[in-house]
Amino acid sequence: TERQSRIMSEKDEYQFQHQGAVELLVFNFLLILTILTIWLFKNHRFRFLHETGGAMVYGLIMGLILRYATAPTDIESGTVYDCVKLTFSPSTLLVNITDQVYEYKYKREISQHNINPHQGNAILEKMTFDPEIFFNVLLPPIIFHAGYSLKKRHFFQNLGSILTYAFLGTAISCIVIGLIMYGFVKAMIHAGQLKNGDFHFTDCLFFGSLMSATDPVTVLAIFHELHVDLDLYTLLFGESVLNDAVAIVLTYSISIYSPKENPNAFDAAAFFQSVGNFLGIFAGSFAMGSAYAVITALLTKFTKLCEFPMLETGLFFLLSWSAFLSAEAAGLTGIVAVLFCGVTQAHYTYNNLSSDSKIRTKQLFEFMNFLAENVIFCYMGLALFTFQNHIFNAFFILGAFLAIFVARACNIYPLSFLLNLGRKQKIPWNFQHMMMFSGLRGAIAFALAIRNTESQPKQMMFTTTLLLVFFTVWVFGGGTTPMLTWLQIRVGVDLDENLKEDPSSQHQEANNLDKNTTKAESARLFRMWYGFDHKYLKPILTHSGPPLTTTLPEWCGPISRLLTSPQAYGEQLKDDDVECIVNQDELAIHYQEQASSPCSPPARLGLDQKASPQTPGKENIYEGDLGLGGYELKLEQTSGQSQLN
Amino acid sequence: MESGDAARPGSGRATGAPPPRLLLLPLLPLLLGRGLRVAAAASASSSGAAAEDSSAMEELATEKEAEESHRQDSVSLLTFILLLTLTILTIWLFKHRRVRFLHETGLAMIYGLIVGVILRYGTPATSGRDKSLSCTQEDRAFSTLLVNVSGKFFEYTLKGEISPGKINSVEQNDMLRKVTFDPEVFFNILLPPIIFHAGYSLKKRHFFRNLGSILAYAFLGTAVSCFIIGNLMYGVVKLMKIMGQLSDKFYYTDCLFFGAIISATDPVTVLAIFNELHADVDLYALLFGESVLNDAVAIVLSSSIVAYQPAGLNTHAFDAAAFFKSVGIFLGIFSGSFTMGAVTGVVTALVTKFTKLHCFPLLETALFFLMSWSTFLLAEACGFTGVVAVLFCGITQAHYTYNNLSVESRSRTKQLFEVLHFLAENFIFSYMGLALFTFQKHVFSPIFIIGAFVAIFLGRAAHIYPLSFFLNLGRRHKIGWNFQHMMMFSGLRGAMAFALAIRDTASYARQMMFTTTLLIVFFTVWIIGGGTTPMLSWLNIRVGVDPDQDPPPNNDSFQVLQGDGPDSARGNRTKQESAWIFRLWYSFDHNYLKPILTHSGPPLTTTLPAWCGLLARCLTSPQVYDNQEPLREEDSDFILTEGDLTLTYGDSTVTANGSSSSHTASTSLEGSRRTKSSSEEVLERDLGMGDQKMSSRGTRLVFPLEDNA
Repeated sequence: TERQSRIMSEKDEYQFQHQGAVELLVFNFLLILTILTIWLFKNHRFRFLHETGGAMVYGLIMGLILRYATAPTDIESGTVYDCVKLTFSPSTLLVNITDQVYEYKYKREISQHNINPHQGNAILEKMTFDPEIFFNVLLPPIIFHAGYSLKKRHFFQNLGSILTYAFLGTAISCIVIGLIMYGFVKAMIHAGQLKNGDFHFTDCLFFGSLMSATDPVTVLAIFHELHVDLDLYTLLFGESVLNDAVAIVLTYSISIYSPKENPNAFDAAAFFQSVGNFLGIFAGSFAMGSAYAVITALLTKFTKLCEFPMLETGLFFLLSWSAFLSAEAAGLTGIVAVLFCGVTQAHYTYNNLSSDSKIRTKQLFEFMNFLAENVIFCYMGLALFTFQNHIFNAFFILGAFLAIFVARACNIYPLSFLLNLGRKQKIPWNFQHMMMFSGLRGAIAFALAIRNTESQPKQMMFTTTLLLVFFTVWVFGGGTTPMLTWLQIRVGVDLDENLKEDPSSQHQEANNLDKNTTKAESARLFRMWYGFDHKYLKPILTHSGPPLTTTLPEWCGPISRLLTSPQAYGEQLKDDDVECIVNQDELAIHYQEQASSPCSPPARLGLDQKASPQTPGKENIYEGDLGLGGYELKLEQTSGQSQLN
Repeated sequence: MESGDAARPGSGRATGAPPPRLLLLPLLPLLLGRGLRVAAAASASSSGAAAEDSSAMEELATEKEAEESHRQDSVSLLTFILLLTLTILTIWLFKHRRVRFLHETGLAMIYGLIVGVILRYGTPATSGRDKSLSCTQEDRAFSTLLVNVSGKFFEYTLKGEISPGKINSVEQNDMLRKVTFDPEVFFNILLPPIIFHAGYSLKKRHFFRNLGSILAYAFLGTAVSCFIIGNLMYGVVKLMKIMGQLSDKFYYTDCLFFGAIISATDPVTVLAIFNELHADVDLYALLFGESVLNDAVAIVLSSSIVAYQPAGLNTHAFDAAAFFKSVGIFLGIFSGSFTMGAVTGVVTALVTKFTKLHCFPLLETALFFLMSWSTFLLAEACGFTGVVAVLFCGITQAHYTYNNLSVESRSRTKQLFEVLHFLAENFIFSYMGLALFTFQKHVFSPIFIIGAFVAIFLGRAAHIYPLSFFLNLGRRHKIGWNFQHMMMFSGLRGAMAFALAIRDTASYARQMMFTTTLLIVFFTVWIIGGGTTPMLSWLNIRVGVDPDQDPPPNNDSFQVLQGDGPDSARGNRTKQESAWIFRLWYSFDHNYLKPILTHSGPPLTTTLPAWCGLLARCLTSPQVYDNQEPLREEDSDFILTEGDLTLTYGDSTVTANGSSSSHTASTSLEGSRRTKSSSEEVLERDLGMGDQKMSSRGTRLVFPLEDNA
């Protein structure tokens, strides 16, 4: 009988495992379907539905099927056991069932009103992931990829604006949404739709912060495909990437905010503690991420790992992952660390990798990003039906819709106005409208909302977030192409050709124009950083840049000789060219030029300013017209096809 | 290096062990990162402590506990990742200096061992806050449990069953428990990429040439080895029982089970060295093919032995019905998994052929990956063995789908699986090192271990030599004595044996097996793996043959044959060896399957009978018509598949449309080449040997250097 029971339990285990296989299989099939559909769409140049939107549609359909076509099984698993002996909830529970001891692991606490749905459908229960999976498995590759693929040149050109939008903008948006939602909640209490005392102001702020994470992946994909104006692309992309980091940390610090006495009253000490938390976590994660990237850069620089691209790729992957894990282990935010790790890796380590590894790492993270993103969006579609604690509240949802629009407007227009005061190259009205329009919500908002769905307000928030994501991805995402034409935004600019076609004379000038404006805009703080980066960090961490022996003062000669790679001495001039192609970072080139001919920098600068203003400007207009023409043609074709269908 | 080893796990734990004084330069940044992390952890914990004294103390306590457990999870994973990083760096150093006595897997195990020792003896044994709860109202274990603790409801998920005697050890050390993975992780996450990669990178040409021998070694050989080891071990167990060294039951089926799991050879170390030194391709193909298929056979064999349960009272006596049922299960699972893998491979091939997915390499790669993964999941869901299905899926994908992919996707998929394989393999090996110390239910039994060592060598010998003898009767191209010795020598055990052994460690017998398996893996990987290079030179095995180089991609078919002299001659011989069943398969594959599933091959309209013309036209891709001119088509096929068997068949079918005269002509041509090439071969071998001796001398030179460092 002992053997019999063992076999029984083995069988149970098998069943358990097969169930897991079936769940994953469902997701796999959904993704395969999505891929095939997307191929079809791309092949026919339909742009109204992005792959993420498609993934959501398939997820929804599958959710519907699972919800209404499967029979509820395993009813008993909802039974509650009372344990008198226990006074607390241990992390591991050993249960003795007819002389067979089973080990149970603590999963979570459930509030009373959530118990009933547990008695329902076991399959639905199975299809629900642990929300931590999003944070620990699915989001890191997405965020890392975003950091790793930031177009550095334009990103640094617009750094000031991007930081303003990301930090100030997110804070504004969080507070505005929080206030509006608080108003709605008060009204709801007044109307008797909500019990008093359920929904605190901190909850509203929490909602505001999680709703502030924009994720215009659909818009960006279309921009990328149509080669929309690069500055706009960079502004949106940079904002959305940093946005996520800010929103995550903000959410965390709001959830930690716990005043001493009355949990709803304002408490200055607790408030400042939250602010301190925010700053501490953000700075800590930033430091952790960049520290790992610096380690990677040094390792790849000082070992000849580039002889073995596979080892190099493996090392790159592992160290980037450890940035995430060690941030988590230290109580910081792993995702933020991973983001900055990605940015730093792209800035330094990327230059040290062998060309094979460059392609490999790019492709690897692109691939992981693609899969993870589609899994999340698929799951969103699924969650609308399989998640069992939805609270649909029409009033709240309506309020949320209103709030995100108002908040987005409060974020973009005033900030753009302020930025335009300082910027030489203004952000025009059509760009502002486009940015306002691209306030899509996506994976981060969803992941933040699903992380905690215990209390009723949190469940209401989750449901609302889900609907908002659906709406924005489908409607806004689908409306991007018409919106672009309507706002007359320049398309058809090819950024890579921009540089390659004429690296020597004319383009240098055009770039210098941009640079000058940026430099004027970003003032001397950024210029100092660039100088520092080019003179010290790049030579220390990569093979490029001027040798440290020339930039460092005399007395640290031995160190500088030790740290400078032999390549840096060798071909200084050739190096420039290589770098131009390799990292497309013309700021670095510019400084290199300055460094290599240090005698006459002011003269050069003056020349640039004289030569630049007219010619490229005209060309740009011309190019823009051409691009628009081409674009309209394409659009006609698209609409014709869609009519046919 | 040693001081660095001591420093690294400390950084992984972030608990604040005193930093060692001596550090090498490359590890400095690691330590800096660690200091920073410790500081950050301190600040975080202090802020957490300040938040704790609020009204909702209990809630925070549970939340904190969950957070703490998450943090510990991160730390344990971080430990492994830093281990892998360290392994990569050391391996680079070894490869850079051409040190061949230690492979990366062996190194991963060493680092794992060191960390295991530190975790075992360096961490305080925290008291696990576990409560044993006796509940009598249920009669079976549910997957989730809702517990009402003083008005609050908590959800618990089933983790596993614990044998009653082991409850105390569960409560021992929290940290050790954290670094112990669920054994299913190996089967569901780590093994599939390894196995898939093995299937995907089988050198097809040489694999198919030696298919008969490989199948014989894999199926018959594994069965022979399983039975011999099982019987020998049964003798050992009987001996132990007489000596009173056995404290629990140990049945004959357990012995057979041990035989099955230990029959899975994994000569990854040997193969890596072969690859590096370009050892004889046939030997490589034999060893690699055997080890890959071996794994599949061993998995299915072990699961069918577990399923063997005779009816009647005496559950451990021989029962013919149950025995045949087990055999039936074996065949059913194996063929089911095979079909499943092949079918998904075929589906992927069709999808990639008929859609223009190759315009978007990312989508194509993703589809390829998902389909291959679905194979695994589908097989698991249907009750077959996922790992086996994935293996055959990999082979099918390499054979058909690979030809349909765009150039970029080809390199992407190759590289993707290469990286996954590399990471997974080193992860498993470092976990093995760790498990020797962190696994808490070891049963060391010297007699059993010694018996097992003797048994695996006898089992390997009884497997290789008789089978080689029989195969040589049929083979024209004999397997030489030195090859046989080398194969006997390469009976390393690795990831598969370990994963099978760790899957079930509930009973006493299984625990003893697990410990023994672990030690066998250590021994074979270190000693035998390290001894490969000396063994190669001692056995006079030809090295320095480049398998990819020998058929030069020329446009002229005559030159192809010329350059390909020794190979096609051997191919020819193998063809006679493998008789007509394989030839039938090849021509079927070339005439029907390849045209249906890929863009290459002759158009179906010519190979299929006239009455299915419509179907043929529908299935043939337009590309095939385009490059009708035989030479070009053949060429591309040649470069794509590197399969010279298909090449010669392409020759006969395309040039003469079914006349056998051209075939014989080409054979005679090859025959005339053979004499010329054999002298070349001798020369090459001499050269290769010289090379090899030089390199082995180089190794010896490096030895003392490494020992000092």
